[in-house]
Amino acid sequence: MEMKEFMDTLLDAAKNGGIETAEIYYSDEDSFSAKAHNGVIDSYEVSATCSLSLRGSVNGRMGYASTEAFDTEAIAYLVEAVKESAALNEAEEQDEIYAGDENYPEIEEENDDLDEVTAAEKLAIALRAEEAARTADQRIPQTEGATVSTQKGQVILRNSYGLNLHRTRKLYAAYVIPIARDGDSTATGFKLEYGRKLRGLDPVKLGKDAAADAVSKLHAEPVASGEYRIIFRHDAMQSLLQTFCGIFSAENAQQKMSLLAGREGEEIASPLITITDDPLRKGGLATAAFDGEGSATRTKAVVEKGVLKTLLHNRRTAKKQGVRTTGNASRAGGMHVSPSNFYIEPGEQSLEELLKNAGSGLLITDLSGLHAGANPISGDFSLLSKGFVIRDGAQAEPVERITVAGNIYQLLKSVRAVGSDLEFPGSPIGSPSVDAGMMPVSGK
Amino acid sequence: MLQPHIAEEVLARATATGADFGEIYLEDQTAQNINLRSGKIETVTSGRSHGAGVRIFVGNQAVYVYTNDTSREGLLACADKAAAAVNGGKGCKIAPFRIVHAERPEEIRLLPTEIRASAKAEKVREADAAARAYSDEIVQAQVRYMDRVQDVLICNTEGTFVTDRRVYIRLNVNAVASDGKENQSGSAAPGGGMGFEIFDSRIDPAACGKEAARQAVTMLHAPVCPAGVYPVVIDNGFGGVIFHEACGHSLEATSVAYGFSEFSGRLGEMIAAPCVTAIDDGTIVNEWGSTHVDDEGMPTNKLVLIDHGKLVNYMIDKLGSRRMNMPPTGSGRRESYAWAPTSRMRNTYIAAGEDDEADMIASMGEGLYAKYMGGGSVNPATGEFNFAVNEGYWVRDGKILHPVRGASLIGRGSDVIMKIDRVGKDCRLAQGMCGSRSGSIPVNVGQPMIRVSSLTVGGR
Repeated sequence: MEMKEFMDTLLDAAKNGGIETAEIYYSDEDSFSAKAHNGVIDSYEVSATCSLSLRGSVNGRMGYASTEAFDTEAIAYLVEAVKESAALNEAEEQDEIYAGDENYPEIEEENDDLDEVTAAEKLAIALRAEEAARTADQRIPQTEGATVSTQKGQVILRNSYGLNLHRTRKLYAAYVIPIARDGDSTATGFKLEYGRKLRGLDPVKLGKDAAADAVSKLHAEPVASGEYRIIFRHDAMQSLLQTFCGIFSAENAQQKMSLLAGREGEEIASPLITITDDPLRKGGLATAAFDGEGSATRTKAVVEKGVLKTLLHNRRTAKKQGVRTTGNASRAGGMHVSPSNFYIEPGEQSLEELLKNAGSGLLITDLSGLHAGANPISGDFSLLSKGFVIRDGAQAEPVERITVAGNIYQLLKSVRAVGSDLEFPGSPIGSPSVDAGMMPVSGK
Repeated sequence: MLQPHIAEEVLARATATGADFGEIYLEDQTAQNINLRSGKIETVTSGRSHGAGVRIFVGNQAVYVYTNDTSREGLLACADKAAAAVNGGKGCKIAPFRIVHAERPEEIRLLPTEIRASAKAEKVREADAAARAYSDEIVQAQVRYMDRVQDVLICNTEGTFVTDRRVYIRLNVNAVASDGKENQSGSAAPGGGMGFEIFDSRIDPAACGKEAARQAVTMLHAPVCPAGVYPVVIDNGFGGVIFHEACGHSLEATSVAYGFSEFSGRLGEMIAAPCVTAIDDGTIVNEWGSTHVDDEGMPTNKLVLIDHGKLVNYMIDKLGSRRMNMPPTGSGRRESYAWAPTSRMRNTYIAAGEDDEADMIASMGEGLYAKYMGGGSVNPATGEFNFAVNEGYWVRDGKILHPVRGASLIGRGSDVIMKIDRVGKDCRLAQGMCGSRSGSIPVNVGQPMIRVSSLTVGGR
């Protein structure tokens, strides 16, 4: 069955089956990925997949189901599963299917070359990047590989009000993981590039940058336990923000899972902190004109100079709080809330200036185990960290096997400076480097 | 699910350009999830995932192509895309299929697909009620029920043609305690490779709710954990995550075969203290990490990894076996058809020893007693691991003083397994989801209570 025909049949079947309002969310993706290792392509992956979910309201209660099989059985399965699901739904605030907005923002997109680039070219890029990493330094005997991947996909949202929205997505990503060894010291490096123009990528530079990252971490040692002035480099700060961005969700706040509930208008962070959620950002990984329930998206300040301006909402959480949706509905089973392109606005100073002003302390570049060592409910974290000693206002020897502990709510308040180096490392969440002030470190 | 003559045609096309091995993995899975928050069932979601992957090898190189279209045409299209990635190779003959049905229906009494969602919702409500009843400080409880029935078919050019059915159920309770200024959480998440009868024996929803609430309230009143290097006693059950992270991942062919692992090339050596015997067992009936055959169609087994400190086996998948020149161990696993399989853990545990649990704490001096561990991660190339302690207690002069929050443990795998100086008698297993190169899969971790003579404790 053709997909359009399947959708038409499904919406009819939902209506005839007693589902009052129904909505289809369909996505598909073609992907390609190849990994070079030791001078040969050792892994090659191609896929063509699609999935469809149906949500529908029965007696004002919402039910959900999804499928990756598109036979006639699938139609009956989806309709019956939505009805069973709706009958059990007891939530006080129910989602509603949305008829749609008058206008949707125009998304400006960069041109891409991903339809023209051949598989052979992609393999050559992976091989060149891997070779560049492997031959960059005598202390790099091998790599975990260099991977080049491309994805092309689309999303269709259709509902029983006649709303029919569509968006496409194209992207390449390339990364290299070299392994550096010297004596009994081992370190891995990482460098990622992504975008829409693969022919614009310099694979040799990618490989060399990754190699330099690995070599810089060799012979890292723990520092003594104690309090240190901590600067989180943009990548480490990004991973903290990504882990804790749920505290800005109105859904979490309404469920008492975030301590920011009811604090709009209050100062919750240092005046140096402004956080923006920008679904229209050019080239952003979460750039989209409509959200998971078909609302038009818009750019907004979430925190402005330390003051909480808004939490992120979908239609259900906005209705409960008597505000307008912020266009942050996201589908994961039911209807939830998630940020789009979400980032701390950059400041004026370069990372070098932040280091200089700190004088001494630790520059943290990697945080590990965020899924376990960071508690999104309490805001507490205690994380395995890597980085460099800051001595005489500059980056000095590497540090590893230490933990840095703190609490995200306190950290936001104690920020002393925000860098100018905003980056989005393969994620819609971005951050510049941040001087976090004194924090406890556990080491040797 | 798939006719043998179509399978043969697809494998022939996939290997036509010179591949020396070809495989088809076909999967159909039905899952149901029920979520409760604030005392109300919020979402019930049902989903069917369905797809297939065609994989070929040319020497040590692998090509994987997958799709949702499992018709003859869809599979042939995959085969052609895979073959197009290869030019030249020694090729292979397709051996006649030996058709095997590995599923054992007698192990499952009540298939979750035949249980009404309302009956499942009752279990969720029981857990919620118990969590809320525990204390006025419990401000939120979130309960998730999940089940899935996964049917797979794996066939390859070596004559394997095997079907299996895996059935999983898990209940996950997360409770939040608050004093208005601070939040702390606690959790309990038992599961198994069983049908709905799991609620008659292994899962008591009310006990889960109470346990999650107890942890959250205990941690709300706990001071932060001191930082430094101390002896650490880790309790049984989920404490086994220390072995999983510190050592298990580094014994998978995924890192060993490439020489990345700190344990590469060390078979026969003493890599752990003599009191440590570690096992990876895919055969324990109805366990969370068990399957009858792995995702490459090989029967699973019980594999001793470390015997009294000596490294005796790695966990090896088919591709790893080619690189390592050693036989595969039934350890090839994957999240779904959207992932090529690789070597993974199943039910992995430190075997019971002979030390007395009470004495272990009494003789430790000052340090940390980690009663419940959270998750963790490892970099197999460097062996550096980290994990969170969800419920810890500070010990001084061998006496448990008070609970501590926010602790984490870090170190290097090869150091920590050498520093285990006590292994208790009561080994328990606990359920987790393990994420690696072939996706997120159910695994058990496990151990008796153990003591590590010194470990870096992260805290404040």
